[in-house]
Amino acid sequence: MTATHQGTAGGGATESSNALRDSFILGGRAIREALRTPDSLFPTMFIPLFFLVVNVGQAAKIFPSEGTPFLFGQSYGAFQLPASLLLSASFGGAGLYLVEEIEGGYFDKLRATPISRMALVLGRLYAEFVKTAAVATVMVLLALAFGIRIKSGIPGFLVMVVMVSLWAMVFAGFMQLLALKTRSAAATQGGSMIFFPLLFLTPNFVPRDQLTRPMEIAATLNPVTYIMEGVRSLVLEGFNGAAIGKGFAVVGVTMVLMLALSIRMVNNYD
Amino acid sequence: MPLVEVSGLTRSFGDTNALAGLDFEVERGTVLGMLGPNGAGKTTAVRILTTLLRPNAGTALIDGINVATEPRRIRTRIGLTGQYAAVDERLTARENLQLIGRFFRMNKADSRERAAELLAKFRLEEAGDRVVSGFSGGMRRRLDISMSLVARPIVLFLDEPTTGLDPRSRMEMWDLIDELTADGMTTLLTTQYLDEADRLADQILVIDHGRGIATGTADELKDRVGGARVSFDVGDAAPEAVLAGIGELRSALGEPFTADGAFVVPVRPGTTAPQVMRSLMSAGIDVVDFELQRPTLDDVFLTLTGRPAEEVVADE
Repeated sequence: MTATHQGTAGGGATESSNALRDSFILGGRAIREALRTPDSLFPTMFIPLFFLVVNVGQAAKIFPSEGTPFLFGQSYGAFQLPASLLLSASFGGAGLYLVEEIEGGYFDKLRATPISRMALVLGRLYAEFVKTAAVATVMVLLALAFGIRIKSGIPGFLVMVVMVSLWAMVFAGFMQLLALKTRSAAATQGGSMIFFPLLFLTPNFVPRDQLTRPMEIAATLNPVTYIMEGVRSLVLEGFNGAAIGKGFAVVGVTMVLMLALSIRMVNNYD
Repeated sequence: MPLVEVSGLTRSFGDTNALAGLDFEVERGTVLGMLGPNGAGKTTAVRILTTLLRPNAGTALIDGINVATEPRRIRTRIGLTGQYAAVDERLTARENLQLIGRFFRMNKADSRERAAELLAKFRLEEAGDRVVSGFSGGMRRRLDISMSLVARPIVLFLDEPTTGLDPRSRMEMWDLIDELTADGMTTLLTTQYLDEADRLADQILVIDHGRGIATGTADELKDRVGGARVSFDVGDAAPEAVLAGIGELRSALGEPFTADGAFVVPVRPGTTAPQVMRSLMSAGIDVVDFELQRPTLDDVFLTLTGRPAEEVVADE
């Protein structure tokens, strides 16, 4: 075997282009792994669909299409679909995969290579985006088969999938952050339970103005509310600039915060 | 100039000093065996040298490059295999190798070619396209080491590479490391086992409480411990007869003594245990039992520190 160093690093490529390239490589690996274990995606789709069916079954009679203004003429399933999509986006396993790699030494193996530190954070998040986009698409197609319509059409559908998938990146990113901080599978798993308050302290059954006052305050303070309302507007109303704008603003701000904290954490990790 | 130069390296975790001023060098093309019990600071030293951990003080240079101030340059020049086989179990062996190649900025064709080369070299060709989760422990270890060699490092760090392996896999690993060193790979190997360091290392550094306490070749260290000893049970034979039986070898052996009813004679370099056996038999001494006792890590530690290795509290 030749034991000669070939000087394979850098080659004039910028740090950011290396970060992007490495992120796509790591993300591609995560997607390949997901395709090899499709059963791991099953809960991501099945549980949100289960909640959709149960919630609609329980409340559809209370909120008939006709006579319920906030449904804009659609069934209650259309109102519930965004909550199911966001629940699906909260199932990302990036944090747990990261803990597994930390515990098994693979994370250190990667860190001892010239891989971009930023890519160690971004790689699986990119995969989360792709996986969530695929699952959300399937869920919406199933919803269409049951008579739910996307008022904003195909462009709105695409915007909706992008917003939900970006939120999946943010949520998975915070779980990765927890994994990097605690290096514990139990703590990371426990931390993921934050999706309960984030998802249920929202106007997920009725619009915000019909919630009780304490619940309305909680929902107003909860950033997920604005993503849910943004997605919901695309399903029920068409393009509502204010609602969509607020949704993307929440995703953008939380994304920047998550990335800043993650990059700081991974750069100081030892 | 040594390829690896470490001077006054310190690192603490809270109140625990994992490294307390470690100094050593590794010459090009040689194997340094870093020997010590759990908690001695071996892994901490390796983690600093591989840029995974920052030192509190001291300097570590690889090929003249400071690991603390230029970690990116260091990472292009090193290979690391840790205590456990660090592979992606959901990928195939070939994919694992190609992935690492891509992080060393190889293009797809080059990483494919290098992966094929390493699969052949490490006898993983047939299993190359199988998902790693079905591999045996030995196969995972071979893959792990091959992943460390993808970018042809100038120095390879093996942190307790045989920990947890069964005896057969351990021997295979030794053969593998022999092959690498025969090709001129500079290697830093940490181990808890003297026999492993003895078999693989050109130089051995014994560390304890984060400091080097002795360095030398395996023979030199054994001499400090007293080297090997032969112990033989001669039944009812008189001690005088046994001493006479050793005959001409007396001057080449240490002072005999008895322990648990057996004769024990330290063997110095240049004399072999079979010579002692032959000498006794030709003198008509009926040897009931005969045993060659080699120094252990405990012997080395007992001699160098005055306490057994087990007393060291693990802090790594």
